[in-house]
Amino acid sequence: MNSPTRAGGTPAGSRSASTGAGRASLRIGLAGLRAHKRRFAGTFVAVFLGVAFLAGTMVMGDTLRASFGKLFADANSGTDTVVRGADEVTASGPGPGPGQGTREPVPTGLVDAIRKVPGVAAVAPVIEGAGELVKADGKSLDTRGPTVAGNWIDEPGLNPYKLVEGHAPKAPGEIVVNRDAARRGGLEIGDRTLLRTPDPVHVTVVGVATFGNEDGEGQTTYAGMTRADAERYLMPKPGEATTIKVRAGPGISQQQLTERVAKVLPAHYEAITGTQASDETQESTSGAFLDIFTTLLTVFAGIALLVATFSIHNTFAIVVAQRTRENALLRALGATRRQVLGSTMAEAAAVAVLATAAGLLGGIGIAAGLQALFPAVGFPFPKGALQIHVLALAVPLAVGLLVCLGSAASPAVRAGRTAPVAALRESATDTSGGSRRRAAIGLCTAVAGVAMTVGGAAAGPNLPLTALGAVLTLAAFVVLGPVASSVAVRVLGAPVGRLRGVTGSLARRNALRSPKRTAATATALMIGVAVVSVFTVLGASMKATLNQTVDRSFAGDVAISAQVYGAGGAGLSPQLATTVAELPEVQDSVGLGVGVAEVDGAGRRLTVTDPAALSRLLDLGKVQGSLAHLGTTQIAVAKDEADKRGLAAGSRVPLTFADGTRVDFTVGAVYDQAGLAGNYLISRAAWEPHRVQDKDTLVAIDFRDGVSTAQGKAAVTEAVTAFGSPDVQTKSEYATSSAAGIDTFLTLIYALLALAVLIALLGIANTLTLAVHERTRELGLLRAVGQTRGQLRAMVRWESVVVAAFGTAGGLGLGTFLGWALVKATDGSGTGAFAVPPLPLAVVLLVGVAAGMLAGWRPARRAARLDILRAIATE
Amino acid sequence: MSGLTARHTGPGPAAGAEDGTAARVVDAAKVYGTGDAAVRALDGVTVGFPAGRFTAIMGPSGSGKSTLMHCAAGLDSLSSGSAWIGGTELGTLGDRQLTLLRRERIGFVFQAFNLVPTLTVAENVTLPLDLAGRRPDAEWIDALIDVVGLRDRLRHRPSELSGGQQQRVAVARALAGRPEVVFADEPTGNLDSRSGGEVLALLGRAVHDMGRTVVMVTHDPVAAAHADEVVFLADGRLVDMMTAPTAGRVLDRMKAFDTKAFDGRPAGGGGTSS
Repeated sequence: MNSPTRAGGTPAGSRSASTGAGRASLRIGLAGLRAHKRRFAGTFVAVFLGVAFLAGTMVMGDTLRASFGKLFADANSGTDTVVRGADEVTASGPGPGPGQGTREPVPTGLVDAIRKVPGVAAVAPVIEGAGELVKADGKSLDTRGPTVAGNWIDEPGLNPYKLVEGHAPKAPGEIVVNRDAARRGGLEIGDRTLLRTPDPVHVTVVGVATFGNEDGEGQTTYAGMTRADAERYLMPKPGEATTIKVRAGPGISQQQLTERVAKVLPAHYEAITGTQASDETQESTSGAFLDIFTTLLTVFAGIALLVATFSIHNTFAIVVAQRTRENALLRALGATRRQVLGSTMAEAAAVAVLATAAGLLGGIGIAAGLQALFPAVGFPFPKGALQIHVLALAVPLAVGLLVCLGSAASPAVRAGRTAPVAALRESATDTSGGSRRRAAIGLCTAVAGVAMTVGGAAAGPNLPLTALGAVLTLAAFVVLGPVASSVAVRVLGAPVGRLRGVTGSLARRNALRSPKRTAATATALMIGVAVVSVFTVLGASMKATLNQTVDRSFAGDVAISAQVYGAGGAGLSPQLATTVAELPEVQDSVGLGVGVAEVDGAGRRLTVTDPAALSRLLDLGKVQGSLAHLGTTQIAVAKDEADKRGLAAGSRVPLTFADGTRVDFTVGAVYDQAGLAGNYLISRAAWEPHRVQDKDTLVAIDFRDGVSTAQGKAAVTEAVTAFGSPDVQTKSEYATSSAAGIDTFLTLIYALLALAVLIALLGIANTLTLAVHERTRELGLLRAVGQTRGQLRAMVRWESVVVAAFGTAGGLGLGTFLGWALVKATDGSGTGAFAVPPLPLAVVLLVGVAAGMLAGWRPARRAARLDILRAIATE
Repeated sequence: MSGLTARHTGPGPAAGAEDGTAARVVDAAKVYGTGDAAVRALDGVTVGFPAGRFTAIMGPSGSGKSTLMHCAAGLDSLSSGSAWIGGTELGTLGDRQLTLLRRERIGFVFQAFNLVPTLTVAENVTLPLDLAGRRPDAEWIDALIDVVGLRDRLRHRPSELSGGQQQRVAVARALAGRPEVVFADEPTGNLDSRSGGEVLALLGRAVHDMGRTVVMVTHDPVAAAHADEVVFLADGRLVDMMTAPTAGRVLDRMKAFDTKAFDGRPAGGGGTSS
């Protein structure tokens, strides 16, 4: 205490005095920290968790990226040049189908020409297509990745797969599978099974291979067959390959070889280096996924840290308030404002440095743990050393320090402003709630935010406007918190008071004591719950939209649909619809395939089907023109798309296909309802010349009159066993299975948000601990006049519940509103559904309240252990 | 006030022990710390507080008077000996039973921080009854409110009252459940003499008009003079008793302690000062 007194008395400007003063601030700050370790435990944990999550995400992202990079580079190291079709058609917009571009096949005749190029050591045509392996039990192999089939390449170095067991395919029907697929499919050498390309092909497993040294290329399943088989099943016509791979002789660089090869290629074909091809493959198979994955994790780390900011700010605000007398004494003894401010910041800095450092270590631990965990839960991510880049440490470090010091800044300034006379006054907590100014600012922000959100959602839709409005609305909620907390706690706490008597009533009033503090505590939870609610509403609305689409659009009795995972699944055989149509129970059966073409320069998905049959099984709404005779010269377009592109029945529309051909079509019909049919319909005959590997994604089936759904379903199920037994679904089952991915996604989101909610709960627990400390005397009094330990515990717990209920209710309200805005703002066509799922939201509310109960557990126990006499005697 | 006197029913003096004491301690010893650091705050005290009487406990700082009160009231436990409320021995009770005993059979008035700041005056008065889930006797409470003179303050919060008013609320609360004994720990310690006088008068009326039992710890001879009898403590021992005290006599008796203290007998019982 001496040093600050002296230093404070020294005129500012003297260098030694100011360093001495700084040291004094530091010493007081650290002493405060040592004396009140428990108070900062919550802050420490909040920063630690947020930083660990962020660092873990970044280290894991770097590690996976590096591992995949090495995997692809190793696997393709023997390939120096790749020859492929130069034109690429990429479909954009919603709908099923390949996400990647489609290219024209390469004639295998080019192989001989390339072999003659000087410096070429080896050339091999590469045929790649979709081939879904059927497991030993007759069902298709589940996979989250692509299902690839291709020709087994014997040229050394050109095949990324290495045979580890058995032999290469020699006879028709022989295949090599990658080890991961063999294991998961229960397939062993000598086993006979089906490979759906998507037509079922009877095959025998003769070999097992690894991709480089891994059991597979990520989640991809691979089946390698003879070149003749591959040409027959995977390419539209013989004599074509997907690409041609070339290996250079000694002393020839990739660049040189590629330039030389390029010279012998005809128009519409290009040569790229092996490195570039490897990079592109990596990007399309794992890079894009990793980017989305790490971005998602980073966003949620950000949410967790935002929540942590509120918790930390609150802790420091309370600690500073509780220390008013102490700080005032320092000021009275001559400490300058800056010294008092400095001592608080020193405390914050110490917590920040410790927690952030621990968080970095924790993050590296998380990354290492996940790396070990992923294979165990079925994600065969490649092995590789942990990649700890500078950025992956620097960013979380900076964020952790910033969050902690930033949160402590305003309480520290307040500490510095403590008037010396406050030492003589009774220390009291800040009972002020919302000032008029706060209410006014908050209301204005809220009105502006809501107006922008609604404006952007309803009249537009305008996503940026809605997003800006959403941010403003969130800010308004934060600003209005203290104003709203009194009313909200009174209302939400009313049943507690009624049910729990004086204990509940005390709990409710304790929550009302410091509206600012209650609001800040609840805000942290509110943000977490709001994000949960947004996703819950979003997921329910997407499901409702899918249901609505199926409901309005699907006019058949049962459906067979292909796996929906990514580009995965070979789809359904186009023969399936024809086979089913021959059943006596079936009236009509139509398959929907996928094609891509550039319509007037823009890549679009086409639905390849029998348009006349389709119109009987899907409700297309009002149709202008006729779908019956599209033939090879006409296409049909959905009305919205037609309006957008200025098309009408009879318009001429040029289509450019992946093979580079351009064909002028006429719009034969315009139909009102896109739904399951998509925006463009083209007949199979018109698509035939441009096809690569045909597959259907949906087969719609209608039974004859008098055939019950059960009868018909049984007959169809029986008929499709030869096709790998895809599920035959009723309309509602089909809708449910289409929405299955949404539930998976929601589960992932909930798991990620659990961290933010956990931090918010730690915040509640921490605030309560500090409040219990502050009310020691009062608690002692209550115990003295007859409050039992149980009643005291209940009182603290119910206070926690009331605060949690406030935060949860606010979050639900805000989240539902923003969810609605997001649904409307992203629904350009206005056909999407909005749904508020009552059950999941009720569960969120219950979980929030129960979590409040849990958060109050420890503070309640500590409060109940309080020694009455010491409580009464506490100064 | 005759109304109050006539109405006193329930656990009163009649419910006390056979010897007519509402509360008593026998061979009470309280030791803090162990070994060389051991401090005997109470050293073999035996004293009974007669039912229907106003007893003051006096003694210099560190004499153990607060410790005696805390142990007699079930707020603290004895190291040896026994403490009784009526016929109940406190040493045999667990925390929960002690708590129930305090709220049903004992009333408390502390020096400060007597009231729960979030509750109104009326709610503070009935707090022990509310905690017990007992329905307050409306007429009794009503009469009490008039006695302490706080009718126009019922809906106020403690922070809106003066120190004297707060202590009067505390007295009303202590009497609300008609306890067997009211313990008051320096109830006037923070008050000016006029407010203090009012509070002491209230305690006196509780005994003489309402038939309650009051035990008060104080170091103020003027306060002690309101009592029917005074017990003197020094160094954890009961050293004297005085009936029908006056401020002057109490002061004289206290002066004797000061002289003794100067004689080199240090005030013991660190940590027990009130």
